[in-house]
Amino acid sequence: MANRVAIVGIGQTTHSGRRPYVNDGELIYDAVTKALADADLSINDMESVMSGNMDLFEGHHLNDAMLNLYSGAAGKPGFKMNTGGTVGSMMAIQGWYHVASGLFDLVLVIGWEKHDEGLVTPAISTITDPAVDRPFLVGAIGGLATVSVAYMQRSGCKLEHAAMVRANASQAAARNPNAHMREIYSVEEVMNARMVMYPLNLLMCCPTSLGATALILASESKAKKICKKPVWMKDHVTVHVEYGGAQFGIGEKRWTSHMEAGAKLFKRNNITKPMVETQVFEMYDPMAFAIPMWLEDFLICEPNEGWKLVEKGALKLEGEYPVSPSGGVLCTNSIGDSAILRVAEAALQIRGDAGEHQVTREVKQALASGFGGSYWSDLLLLSKTKD
Amino acid sequence: MKAKTQEELIYLNMTMKVPYKWRTGETMGEFFRELKENGIIYANQCPTCGRHFCLPKSVCTRDHTKCTERSKWIPVGPKGTLVTYFMAEQSFLLPTTGEMLKIPFAVGIVLLDGAAVILQHQLEETDTEKIKPFMRVEAVIKPKEERKGNIYDIVHFKTIHE
Ligand SMILES: [Zn+2]
Repeated sequence: MANRVAIVGIGQTTHSGRRPYVNDGELIYDAVTKALADADLSINDMESVMSGNMDLFEGHHLNDAMLNLYSGAAGKPGFKMNTGGTVGSMMAIQGWYHVASGLFDLVLVIGWEKHDEGLVTPAISTITDPAVDRPFLVGAIGGLATVSVAYMQRSGCKLEHAAMVRANASQAAARNPNAHMREIYSVEEVMNARMVMYPLNLLMCCPTSLGATALILASESKAKKICKKPVWMKDHVTVHVEYGGAQFGIGEKRWTSHMEAGAKLFKRNNITKPMVETQVFEMYDPMAFAIPMWLEDFLICEPNEGWKLVEKGALKLEGEYPVSPSGGVLCTNSIGDSAILRVAEAALQIRGDAGEHQVTREVKQALASGFGGSYWSDLLLLSKTKD
Repeated sequence: MKAKTQEELIYLNMTMKVPYKWRTGETMGEFFRELKENGIIYANQCPTCGRHFCLPKSVCTRDHTKCTERSKWIPVGPKGTLVTYFMAEQSFLLPTTGEMLKIPFAVGIVLLDGAAVILQHQLEETDTEKIKPFMRVEAVIKPKEERKGNIYDIVHFKTIHE
């Protein structure tokens, strides 16, 4: 039986597209010191410090070795993670494993990326087999465009719904001082943006940002002693699937990593009405079709209902089921940081500390997700109470 | 702080040019040999679940069983069904060549007739009004003297009307 694990410290940098006076280590140091201040702890209290990003984005292999003085990892055990879009959620989950094992009482995990240093799309294209797929993959955006076309085809979702999602996200990000793109856009303005990768136009794609997030995780006994508002990591699921026909329901019933993750997590926690039993979802939403499409895939709403929830305004910050009230990945995307930021923002919602973008419903349980690699999913369930 | 000299002080411009030589593996090697010598697209089969893979796989992702037995390979396509696609209207740097992508560039996810899994390759059609999911397409294979035993021996998929 795993020991209970709580988030007791949260720190994030501000996010932007460019921050020329800060190097990688200084960026990490910023998030780490904020998390330590939030938990009222010192780096010496941390038994393990671990970081994750995608090495190729900054062109800096094994960067955790050189950055250990900034992260505070020097002299401590730990791992480096590099799992693409799920780096951040895997950092939170990896921290969970360390504490849940009973071997550690306090662990610091960091997700970071600095996209102003290299090119994102060519780096992402290298995830595929060079002999067969690589010439035909244009970064994450190519793959995300294909699933968007398929979603529109099967569900009846239109480009306008994606534009509504982006307009909503812009309203949310405008209330989040740490978000990267904080401009407010109307549906019409989103519709008129330059086409990048049909069906995704410039505003329907996530930006390339820089930023870092650090979380401090504690064992139950430690959390009780040091923290007034612990957020409990109740459960989490990681799913890897093959990329094949199942993604599109070809030759077999449609089945994706998100569907597997939602089915497992909700079954294990006896959740039958996810939109009632969890009150907010910080989703890894890297393009504008993601929120409606993946609410369906995570089995949170019925198939082909996601875009109808968008139309009703149900997913807005003050709506009946707020999704990504921080503005999400759509407005801030520092990839290795993006998924840990979802966990951090979901935890802030539970604590009631999200400030201007705190949702209007009372939050007792929250979901956070990560997505990336070759269609990999992480789904985490956070809770105000430990049971 | 925004002065040009300051900018130069805080940036290091560097380009990494790193050559690689990747192995395609036994299964894909055989696939490319058939494509080059005979112009035929082959699928192999998982002995456990029976699925025909094109592009062929050495190991079934689900069953973790080896599926390289050559006698079980079957020709698939060249006709197939377009499942979905994307269309690049902005150019990006290509990591394999260091060149910029020539746009417009449409890529289709295609299920070849006889195969159970999808493959992705370029579409000849680049007008999004004319590309419809589930339309029929056919692989255009280069003439024998131009084939090199790589994925570009398939030029693209053209739209067909049956
Ligand atoms: Zn099989």
